[in-house]
Amino acid sequence: MIEFKNVVKKYPNGTLALKDINIKVEKGEFAFIIGSSGSGKSTLIKLILKEEDPTEGDVHVNGYHVSSLTRNVVPSLRRSLGCVFQDFRLLPNKTVYENVAFAMQITEALPKEIRRQVPMALALVGLSKKANVYPNQLSGGEQQRVAVARALVNNPALLVADEPTGNLDPETSWEIMKLLTEINHRGTTVLVATHEKTIVDAMKKRVIALDKGEIVRDQEKGLYGNEDKNYQIHS
Amino acid sequence: MKIRTIKYIVKEGTVNAYRNRFMTFASIGIVTLSMLAFGIFYLFAVNINHNAGILKNQLEFEVFCKPELGDVQVNQIEQSIKSSSGIISYTKVTKDMAFENAKKMLGDDKDILNGFDNNFLPVSFKIKIKDSVSSEVLVNKFKSMDGVDSVKYPQAEINFVTKGSAWIRLVMIALLLILLVVSLFIISNTIKLTLFARRREINIMKYIGATDWFIRWPFVVEGVIIGLSGVIISFVVSTYLYNMVQDKLSKGITDISNGMMGLVSMKDVGFDLFGIFILIGISVGIAGSMISIRKHLRV
Ligand SMILES: Nc1ncnc2c1ncn2[C@@H]1O[C@H](COP(=O)(O)OP(=O)(O)O)[C@@H](O)[C@H]1O
Ligand SMILES: [Mg+2]
Repeated sequence: MIEFKNVVKKYPNGTLALKDINIKVEKGEFAFIIGSSGSGKSTLIKLILKEEDPTEGDVHVNGYHVSSLTRNVVPSLRRSLGCVFQDFRLLPNKTVYENVAFAMQITEALPKEIRRQVPMALALVGLSKKANVYPNQLSGGEQQRVAVARALVNNPALLVADEPTGNLDPETSWEIMKLLTEINHRGTTVLVATHEKTIVDAMKKRVIALDKGEIVRDQEKGLYGNEDKNYQIHS
Repeated sequence: MKIRTIKYIVKEGTVNAYRNRFMTFASIGIVTLSMLAFGIFYLFAVNINHNAGILKNQLEFEVFCKPELGDVQVNQIEQSIKSSSGIISYTKVTKDMAFENAKKMLGDDKDILNGFDNNFLPVSFKIKIKDSVSSEVLVNKFKSMDGVDSVKYPQAEINFVTKGSAWIRLVMIALLLILLVVSLFIISNTIKLTLFARRREINIMKYIGATDWFIRWPFVVEGVIIGLSGVIISFVVSTYLYNMVQDKLSKGITDISNGMMGLVSMKDVGFDLFGIFILIGISVGIAGSMISIRKHLRV
């Protein structure tokens, strides 16, 4: 589903954000990417979305060889996965319903399909009642739910999230994480970049830990900063 | 592209234009003024060319025979003029007619002709030639004819008309280019503002997998809306102004030129003008938005 092979990312200004990264995430998995600020989590997500290209190595996502994708194929890569960000990224002048429907509209989906899928996605995130409300009338947690509904409305096999709870209070963060788990149980592969120690510790999922651009730990059902003899992670 | 996508694109473009309405109106205004200036000059040029064409057709040569020529030789010259190709018509000016003309020309001083008979005056032929024929070739041919004394032709006027038309065409093209650049600049600037206002939305669209053209088309539509609105307004205004001017001037021009010249009717140029305007409106709209998109939209 996702595979990084010897990936190096060096930004034009010389910052070495990722050093020789090897990761494999299988279909149906739920994995966290953790690490302190600046450790390279967002860079890794950007490589998956082809917002950035690796300096060296190969990235494979959903059967796409991302690093060698031509410009005109990038939209189909991005449609094959859903993404969620810290700042929600909703369109302010569209209602909740329209925001979610828009993700289908750009794929030129049939109006009939849109009318069927959007209510289902909104029901999944528990926002059926807020369909006709504008984003600025919603709480942060609700806005993030809309973003999740939008990410899922095209039924992608993969959901990636970069600090999805970064702007939310602890209680709401838990709700969003529970929602992501539920989505994973329905068969979607989920990859979440975060630095929220408590949540990661409690969830007992696979944890890939980054430090200064290197993978310092990759283990099943891991805790965020468990006492590993060799590595120290700062948060 | 599906019909519903086209609908979406047109709607988005219109909404963009409306949200950015201050700049939209400003740029429609500038396109309108530019095209109005062009339209007025175009109509002016069409009329100049039209009347220049008439004038050119009216240009005549006058072939003068040697005064001492007898009737037989004059007839020979007449025959060869008659059989020349490129000639529309000719009139023979006899010695008597020439004498009368000379008297008329002299007016009050005609007394100085007293005591002369018409013999010292030559027979001449006034010749009208076809527009397509080179006047120079014919003039030279007549000049070298036996018994021909001289050929009078209005070379200066011919040159003036030909050169004038060429200049008008040149000025029109230059004017059009300048006005096109102005229109392009204002449209691309307007689209740039919309692009900046919608930067965030464009970014979001990219993340959810919108294609480049899905993102770009609405801006092209916005540019075309500006271009088309501008040309349509200026077409209506220039048609109105032209009809007004034509009402006022047409009779006068016809009178002073003995019905030879006149203004071209809007019925005859309107279709061309409309076609040119629409073409320019659409091209300027597309080009203006493309400039901005290429410069400011990295998708
Ligand atoms: N566009 C960029 N240009 C240059 N350096 C960058 C850019 N984006 C991130 N970096 C640098 O790369 C490193 C990793 O950043 P990032 O992937 O954002 O880390 P994280 O998401 O874990 O906080 C940091 O040192 C950051 O300053
Ligand atoms: Mg980050």
